[in-house]
Amino acid sequence: MSAKKNPLFNESGIQQIETDHAAWFETTLGQADRAVEGRFFTHSGIPVKLLFTPADIKDLDYTQDLGFPGQAPFVRGVYPNMYRGRLFTVRQLAGLGAPEDCNLRIKYLLDHGATGVNILFDLPTIRGYNSDDPEAEGNVGACGAAVDSIWDIDAFFKDIDLGKVSTSIVTHLPSTSIVIPGMYFAVAEQRGTPWSRVAGTCQNDFIMETCVGSAPEILPPAASFRLQCDVVEWICKNVPRWNPISYNGYNLREAGTDAVQEVAIAISNAIATAEELIRRGMHIDDFAPRMSFFWDLHNDFFEEIAKCRASRKVWHRIMTERFGAKNQKSLLMRFHVQTAGVTLPATEPYNNIARSALQGLAAVLGGCQSLHIDSYDEAYSAPTEEAALISLRTQQIIQTETGIVNTVDPLAGSYYVEYLTDQMTQRITAAIGQIEDLGGLVKAVESGWLHREISAYNYKYQRSIETGETKVVGVNYQPAEKEACCSIDVFKYPETYTRQKAKLERLRGERDPRKVRECLAVIRDKCHSDENLYPYTIAAVKNLATLGEIEEVFREEFGLWAFPLY
Amino acid sequence: MTRKVRVVIAKLGLDIHWRGVYLVSQFLKDAGMEVVYLGNQFPEQIVEAALEEDADIVGLSSLSGNHMTLGPKVVRMLGEKGLDHVKVYMGGVMAPDDAAALETEHGIHKVFLPDTPMAKIVEHMYASVGIPRPQPQA
Repeated sequence: MSAKKNPLFNESGIQQIETDHAAWFETTLGQADRAVEGRFFTHSGIPVKLLFTPADIKDLDYTQDLGFPGQAPFVRGVYPNMYRGRLFTVRQLAGLGAPEDCNLRIKYLLDHGATGVNILFDLPTIRGYNSDDPEAEGNVGACGAAVDSIWDIDAFFKDIDLGKVSTSIVTHLPSTSIVIPGMYFAVAEQRGTPWSRVAGTCQNDFIMETCVGSAPEILPPAASFRLQCDVVEWICKNVPRWNPISYNGYNLREAGTDAVQEVAIAISNAIATAEELIRRGMHIDDFAPRMSFFWDLHNDFFEEIAKCRASRKVWHRIMTERFGAKNQKSLLMRFHVQTAGVTLPATEPYNNIARSALQGLAAVLGGCQSLHIDSYDEAYSAPTEEAALISLRTQQIIQTETGIVNTVDPLAGSYYVEYLTDQMTQRITAAIGQIEDLGGLVKAVESGWLHREISAYNYKYQRSIETGETKVVGVNYQPAEKEACCSIDVFKYPETYTRQKAKLERLRGERDPRKVRECLAVIRDKCHSDENLYPYTIAAVKNLATLGEIEEVFREEFGLWAFPLY
Repeated sequence: MTRKVRVVIAKLGLDIHWRGVYLVSQFLKDAGMEVVYLGNQFPEQIVEAALEEDADIVGLSSLSGNHMTLGPKVVRMLGEKGLDHVKVYMGGVMAPDDAAALETEHGIHKVFLPDTPMAKIVEHMYASVGIPRPQPQA
């Protein structure tokens, strides 16, 4: 910012506070408290003092540094009236078994007041295999729902109006984001719903493909990144209400980073995407308004709130100063939040209801646009219906009983929260700079840097749990004398494999094999061109090509990449 | 001087959650074991690696629901190769009933559920193989 600062506090007032604070520290505070000062840090390593005062934010310029909600730099929120205008979307995940089972769970959540749908897939689908591929053995319908063809997307949304519901399709990888949302758009078209009315989000993040999950077969970073950009470009031009990318800090954080890196890597990916799409001839304002982010709200309550506020500020600065974005919607960072599954132990699982509620509270105080609260049985299985309902009810309690949604950004002005927000802003900006120095995110990933960072973070964090330095209630801190649990009701995945296999056999009998072969041959050819692949994958799914068949083409044409860690 | 305990450790099938299993492999190394971390593998390749590495222990990680199919499959295939002496450990996210059934009915030597301290895994493995733990160098 070049404009001259207009600090909120006057200089003599700050001097007085600093003098009084020093005196208070020496005379009023006990020796024991003085001795430990300097030993407290947030989870990501920001020093935490016993007491924060205006002196810790003495340069704060309200207009420049915070502003008003719905105005630059959006620290206080992306909309002027925030939750009075639109409550955060209650978007609980639903994913289990076959699409037909999932359809029932989606309707159950919608009937109980969920306002969005968030669908999750089993691992063969996530990784681009058909249910009857040998690699899929043991994973069909587990942890998410199976999708093999356009028929499955149709079954997922049976009796649900695709023009009315906002759907988040959790296709982690670019290679499946170029196929599965395409099935959704094709189903909408077949039902007569114009693409202009279809709303939702897909994840589409090459970091998910190359770093967060390990897998026997993954595409190289550059290929995955190209598909990611194809998805963004095509959807921005054809499905205007769809968010074609959700930069997934969440799963990266769960895999192992701190809050600073979570945001820095997601924003670095957005920078890389923007540069590529501009190279392809688009203008920043053609696509930036549709980019969204996905944060993990972990245990460190105030740091997480500061992260949310700081991430909006960093994004605004990059969009204006670096890319010259003009459209107001390009400048505001919208994000979905999920509470931190990695913080939920299996021991005394009902305690997780409290943990998740606190994390959800932080998300709302941080100004999220939509929220998923994890269920207490996370460390056992996908949630039971009962556990999923408690998560939904927790959201509704935050929305309607606590009163926190009635005013915007209620923690603004807290010396501690503003100090943390400034610290997070600086640290995220520095971490983005470090990735730039490595040649940008794609190159940094190719070099193995991110894998090493994740691994080092995890090792350090686990050590701190082993030594008891990081305390987990009921696990390494005050463990119950005898195991209190566990008669936990665990979700049983419905048998899915035989149903999906039968459906695939019927599909292969009904489709025109020549057309499928032609469609796949075109995709194969276009992999080696500069053309956007999306129109060709849509054509293939309409002609009943399966997810696994299209992904096999990618694997063969782009080659596979070895996980650069071992 | 006694030899080191040899461990082959893998993520089962398509499961993508590598945080826990990679950590376990690091802590086993720290505790003086010889660890070969395979990354993601299917049962055939895991058994092949166990044979090649002359493993005492095979460690399998599953957080995605494939534990009841692929875990027992590894035990079966080890038996077919005459590797009955190899002890198969599993870890990950699974129902307590499944964990119990894996141990009592499917030949899994031991299942460790979430929250298990690393020290407990190390201690259990040394005891089951019967090789004393090397003393840390002063």
